[in-house]
Parts: sequence; C-alpha cells; structure tokens
Amino acid sequence: MARVRLEQITKRYGATVAVDRVSADIREGEFITLLGPSGCGKTTTLRMVAGLIDLTEGHILFDDQVVNNIPTHRRNIGLAFQSHALFPHLSVAKNVAFGLEVRGGMSKGARNARVTEMLEMMELTGFEERVPAQLSGGQQQRVALARMLATDPRVLLFDEPLSALDRNLRDTLKYSILALQRRTKKTAIYVTHDQSEAFAISDRIFVMNKGKIEQAGTQLDIYLRPQSEFVANFVGDNNALRGEIISISENGADGRTAVVSANGYTLSAFCPPDVAVGDNVLAFVRPENIHVLSETDGRGDPTVVEGTIEQIVFEGPTVRITVDAKGFPLKVNVGGAERLTLIEGGQRTVRLKLDEVTLVKSNGVTL
Amino acid sequence: MSAIASSPVQRNRKLSSRTVFGALQHVYIWIWLVLFALPFVVTILRSIQDVDGGHSFAAYQQVFESYRGNLWFSVKVTVITIIINLLVSIPGAYAIVRYTVPGKRFVLSLLNLALYTPGAVAGISLVITYSYLFHIPRTTTGLVGAYVVGTYPLMLVPIIVALRDLPQVYEEAARTLGANRAQSLFRVELPLLGPGISAGILLTFVIVFNEFLVTLFIAGPHTTTAALTVYNLTRTGFLPSTAALAAAMQLISFLVVLLFFRTFGSRYLKGTFLI
Repeated sequence: MARVRLEQITKRYGATVAVDRVSADIREGEFITLLGPSGCGKTTTLRMVAGLIDLTEGHILFDDQVVNNIPTHRRNIGLAFQSHALFPHLSVAKNVAFGLEVRGGMSKGARNARVTEMLEMMELTGFEERVPAQLSGGQQQRVALARMLATDPRVLLFDEPLSALDRNLRDTLKYSILALQRRTKKTAIYVTHDQSEAFAISDRIFVMNKGKIEQAGTQLDIYLRPQSEFVANFVGDNNALRGEIISISENGADGRTAVVSANGYTLSAFCPPDVAVGDNVLAFVRPENIHVLSETDGRGDPTVVEGTIEQIVFEGPTVRITVDAKGFPLKVNVGGAERLTLIEGGQRTVRLKLDEVTLVKSNGVTL
Repeated sequence: MSAIASSPVQRNRKLSSRTVFGALQHVYIWIWLVLFALPFVVTILRSIQDVDGGHSFAAYQQVFESYRGNLWFSVKVTVITIIINLLVSIPGAYAIVRYTVPGKRFVLSLLNLALYTPGAVAGISLVITYSYLFHIPRTTTGLVGAYVVGTYPLMLVPIIVALRDLPQVYEEAARTLGANRAQSLFRVELPLLGPGISAGILLTFVIVFNEFLVTLFIAGPHTTTAALTVYNLTRTGFLPSTAALAAAMQLISFLVVLLFFRTFGSRYLKGTFLI
C-alpha cells in the first residue's frame, strides 16, 4: 500500500524517446491502467516502476521515498508478467514460496502456512506438487498471482497478464484480479492494449501514445469526453468527420453548444472550451449513438442525415450497418428489435440522427 | 475395365519394392553399426584371451593391480578440468549472451579456435609455453592447464546456447520477488541452464578422459594418464592386459555416459541435441 508518483519520467534509447515526461499521481489503493497501442511506452513505464529499466530523467516515488536508485529486489513490488514467468523447474508450492524464501526472516512453518493461504485464495489447493507444465494457462496465471501476492508487496504491477489467454478466461480472470486488488487494497498499475480490460477494472485510465500520456481520467471521461484525436479514435469505435464551427450558443450552466458543418452535414455538439467559431474540428460520433429514424420522425430537422445502406452485418446483439451518406461511410450500430426489422425489411435507404457528437480541435493531421 | 483389373498387380509390385527398399535401409544401417562397434568388440575379445588359448579375466586383474593409479589419475585430472571449465564458462557465457561485448562474434570464433587446432600443434605450443614461460611441463598443473585450454569451448558453447534460449523473464521474475543477483543465479538461472551445463560436462568428460595426443606432449613420468599408458604399452606388443586397460577405459566412459543420462537425462537433457 503506497502512493506512487511518477514525476516527468523519461526513457531515451539513443535518439529514440520511449517514454516522454510521463507524470502520474496514483493514490494509495488506487487501480490505474496504462492503455495504449503496442510501442506506446506503457510497458517501459511499468518496467521503470519495477526497477527493471533505469530512468533517463525524472523521479519515481513510493510514498515520499524516491526509489530511482533502489534495485528491483528491494522495492517490495509484485509484477505479473504476460508469460506468467513461473519457474519451470519448481513445483507450484515452491514457486509461491520463492519470494518468502529469498527474503528470509520467516520460519518454515510460517512460510508453508502462507503458501497454503495463497493457494487457497487462488483456488489452487491440491496443485501444490505439480510443476507449471502440468497446469492450464489460466491455472498458471493464478499461480503467478499467488506467487506475487505471497510476499505482501507494496505495489502491484501487471504487464498484460491476460493477453496470452483465450477470451473467456480473460473475462473471468480480469474480475478476479480486480477482486484481489479490492480485497488487498494495494496500489495497482495495470498495462494493457485491451480497452475492455481497462474499462472493467480501472479506477482511472491513462491513455498513452508515442511515449506520452494523451489523457488521464475515469472510464466516462475517456469514452465520453476524449480530449484528443488519438483518444477518440483509439478508445471504442468512432466515426470521425472533419468540419468547421459555424456558430456557438451559450446554454447557461450546461456550457456551450456548437453547430458544426462536417462533410456536408450539420451537427450539433457540446462545445469544448478551447474552440471558437471558424475553427477546424473533428467531430466524433460513436456507432451506437447514431439512431435509425422512422419515415415520419425528425421531419425538418437539419441534423438528420439520409443515406443508402451499403452493408449489413449481423453481430448478434447488434447489427452493424455501413451507410453511404453524401459520399462518406458512416458506421452505425442498431440494437433491439429494430435490427431485425432492418435485416428482414430489405430497406435500401435510412434516415439517421447523430447524437452525442464530440468535438476535438483538429491538429491538422488527416485521418 | 482394364484399369480395375490391373490395379491389384500394381499394388503388389509397389508393396514389394517398398519391402525391398526397407530391407536395404536396415542392411545399410547394420553395416555401419558393425563397422563402428567392431574395434571395441575385438578389443574386448582380445582382453579376455589367455596365453594358453582359453578365456579368463586374469588380464583385468592385472590392470587393476598395475594400472589402477593411472586410471585414478585420469579420473582426477578429468574432474579438475571439468570444474575449471565450469568456472570459466558460466561467467563467460553470461558475459557473451547478456552483455554487449565489442567484437562479440570475433571473440567467440577466437575462443573456439582451440577446437580446430590439430592436437600435435596444440601440444607443441603448450610444451613451448609451459617450459619457457611457466615452468610447469610434466606436472599435473600443466596437464590440467592443457586440457582446459583444449576443451573449454566444449563447455562454453552448450552453455551459451542454453543461456540464449533462456528467457530473461525468469531472472526478472526472481528479482521482482526479492531475489538478489546471486540468489537469482543459483536458484533460477543455473538450474534452468542444466541442459547446457550437463552437455558441457559430458563432452568435457568424454574428451579429456580419453585424451591422448596433447597428453603425449605434456605428461611426464609421474603424470601418465590411462590413455597414455595404453599407447606406451602398445609399443611393447598387443598383450591382453593392454587390451584390458583399453576396454576398461571404454567401459568407464560408457558407464559414466549411461549413468549421466539415467540421472540427469530426463531432467536436464530433454530437448537438447543429446537426447
């Protein structure tokens, strides 16, 4: 249990900057996720916290102690690896006991009791004498978690621990990890490229790109109020339209509403504070926020869009349609009974209402 | 119609040609096996021959009485060589694999030079070096030194291969769990390098225990190995006792290898080129 602070930490390999002035203040007992595509610097950041990589610049603090020069084995951390990294020559019990043995200061009886306790917690009783090769992938990762928790570390670190497992197992284990963290109340940093994992378990998500933190916030902040083009595109599915602010109106306490002209559509959206009339913006609309209207709905509404259906894909709970509207392909998710009407109706054209449009000031980069 | 009628005949012909080919393969393999094993078999037959034409193990008793010292000496220098090879090769392999050494490839091929040097050349060079530089010819030190120089690549290379195949993540896992460098080395890395180390020990044993050519140059009257004794004896004729000593050496090598595979085989040699 420790507060973990990263102060402007930077890692350079020659001319390449792997991690660029990353700062974060992680509260005691908080569960945060570093989310980003491969090569974004999230694993390097985690490995610096673990002490496996030296920093080029900056400081890492556990509580009020700078740990930059404390070697890994004295940082009192637990790290779960993607490949679980169980020692193949040791039994399950010996793997779990490893940290206790090398740290010393514990009687054999106490050690065995701790191992039994950990294995019970991870529902691995009866597997003590097996070697890792005799376990399934999920069991191996559970042993790795037991091993990591046995020494009662101050900080828990997870380096994509579930990405080598199949989907069902991943879903179960991510909730086990969350439950473990909640029970032990330990500060945790979790690295993943899988946003569903990040959304399921984090108190806060730090989205990383090209060595920098793009945005930090709760799931809602990240999903509903992306502050950059990268975050809007990386997190969830999105339709991105390039446009210009035509007018802005004040809505009192709710903030400002902007009218945007993008790809020939007129859209209405919540207006971020740094945007003014005439600015180029990117307007993002999530596929689930585009609604199919009936013939009579929304007559005369300038924000209603008409288009022809190009593709219909049945995905189970939803139907994904691609609509060609004024030469721009829009991805639309349709749920409920509507999706069946759509599939069976043989409809060629649809009228769409675009809701919850998010604006991000354009940095001029073409999508 | 005709195609159907002819098909069984064709199948028969195919089957018989396959049988013939299979038999030829077996013959081929057996010819080589016999050629390989023949000298050893003949040596063993010779060793149990009596002067009067009968068979007995009298020659072995003589070996045990007269050459026990030489055999023991061979075992001793072999074990010392193995230990020194280990002490040289483990840190060496670690440095080569885990750290960036300038000119690594060049260094590595230079290190392996000992394997390609003809025994006589190595012998001469070592005699010159030991006589004029260190003054240790004809001593156990000199002999062990010569063996180490000649055989450490046999230890180094398998350990390098094993270390290269050993993911660094185990070492990292050990460190995050609180193990210092030494604990991680002795508890995690060395056991996992078992296959490489075992292979190195085995190769060094087989080569050093039976080494003769370099020994011929370096050894003195008090440092005569069993292999050298066999050579010395053949110059006085092929007595059954000579054959018995040779067979005994063969047997010791064979037993050590067998014992080694039985003890460590399933644990450390699985997946290596030895099993």
